[in-house]
Amino acid sequence: MRALLFAFLAIATGTQACELPGGPAQKAQSGKYLVLYRTQPAPLKVGQHFVLEFAVCPAPDSVRVDATMPEHRHGMNYRPTVTATGEGRYKAEGLMFHMAGRWELVFELRSGGKTERVAQSIRLE
Amino acid sequence: MKAAFAFLLFAASAAGAATFTDEEARRIATHGPWPAPWSADPSNRVSGNKNAIDLGERLFFERRLSVNGEISCSSCHLPERNWTDGRPRAVGLKEVDRNAPSLVNVRYHHWFGWDGAHDSLWAQSINPILDPRELGMSAASVAKLLREDKDLSCRYRKTYASAPAADDERILVDAAKALAAFQETLVSGRTAFDEFRDALARGDQAAMSRYPEAAQRGLKLFVGKGACDMCHAGPALTNGEFHDTGIPFFVRPGEVDPGRYGGIKKLLADPMNLLGPYNDDAKRSTAIGTRHVSLEQRNFGEFKVPSLRNLESSMPYMHNGSLASLRDVVKHYSEINPDRLHSDGEAILKPLHLSDGEIADLVAFLETLSDGGGQYKRRPFPEDCR
Repeated sequence: MRALLFAFLAIATGTQACELPGGPAQKAQSGKYLVLYRTQPAPLKVGQHFVLEFAVCPAPDSVRVDATMPEHRHGMNYRPTVTATGEGRYKAEGLMFHMAGRWELVFELRSGGKTERVAQSIRLE
Repeated sequence: MKAAFAFLLFAASAAGAATFTDEEARRIATHGPWPAPWSADPSNRVSGNKNAIDLGERLFFERRLSVNGEISCSSCHLPERNWTDGRPRAVGLKEVDRNAPSLVNVRYHHWFGWDGAHDSLWAQSINPILDPRELGMSAASVAKLLREDKDLSCRYRKTYASAPAADDERILVDAAKALAAFQETLVSGRTAFDEFRDALARGDQAAMSRYPEAAQRGLKLFVGKGACDMCHAGPALTNGEFHDTGIPFFVRPGEVDPGRYGGIKKLLADPMNLLGPYNDDAKRSTAIGTRHVSLEQRNFGEFKVPSLRNLESSMPYMHNGSLASLRDVVKHYSEINPDRLHSDGEAILKPLHLSDGEIADLVAFLETLSDGGGQYKRRPFPEDCR
């Protein structure tokens, strides 16, 4: 797992500061995007639904969240929904990791007709 | 003869107790504590209610809850058989297509039935009452019984603070919610495995040594080479979800059991699901799975991962009761043919190629997940209701 970031810690990404108020957050980055996220509950448990709160910087036009187990070649049994909560922040509901092992949490970020993927590896015992 | 005996003794002691890595110990710790914490079901306003449990217990053993007056829920879910019936496929008014699942620890589940066609224990409890192959009742006949029987009507009134009303469907749902409240009390006791798990967590070597060596070796396989705990996860030893395990799903020539694929379709079409009007929780806080469940082609032939607690007395095994013993189940996973899986490219199960000794060790471990029975004591019956 990547380094923990703390509440209100701002990270400069170009001209925009990125923050996810409300507690410790994880960081995932790819290309031009930085994603700060936390799960509720934390830590995650096998077979338990969780909520994902996250911020994306810079804010994309649209966001999709999904997760897969690459070694098992399957995804989740649920299709999460993402709600924008304002200022580049979002809430995803309906996620569940139903098996122990390595999951890849994927943020699909679309802006100006281009989609980029920000992926984060999560190991669940 | 003496020489042979000496050899056997040597072989047994050579196998010895297992040692566990830190990662294995962490994985073992996830299977407890037991009993696991539980909170009342918010979708059922009488969950945990003493009067509802009492009414539900009576309804569970009530033969008039069947159209012919001869069978009850307890005909297929027998307390002395770990709340199942010992048959490959359950027999109500007629034989059904699946094995009667155990009801023990059902309060920890989030999907109900082998195909998860129901998202609450009370909605699941309606299914056998109305199924013409099981109890064959109707909402009207259940409502009539609860209105006209003095004792049941009294217990209904004590539970719901009003007499059974004119709405038959409402009374059927209330009866199912009382049945659910009773089933939520069926929790298995502590086992030899739980004692070992707790001893391992606190580093108590003396207590750990009381756990049979074969079971220790089986446990090491369970969280190691077998990776059984990927699906049989958590304190109840199930992730509560669905997998294709290569068990044939033909129910008769030309007819298949679609498993989870059919279950999701039924769930979403069911007016009694948690998104419907009978959910007592205005926030729909337990409906998250129903709202987000995804129907995929790979769901075809998937069945629910059963809990392994009290497994020893739940034979025969699998959704169709096709495997007679625990040894047969372990051998199935040892020799599984990946070509028989209909899992849309998934790569979870592969043959374990276990030796006879490893099979025996895994069975020895599984046997330590049983509490020995006798947790349930039926209260004196009948008892006047005033």
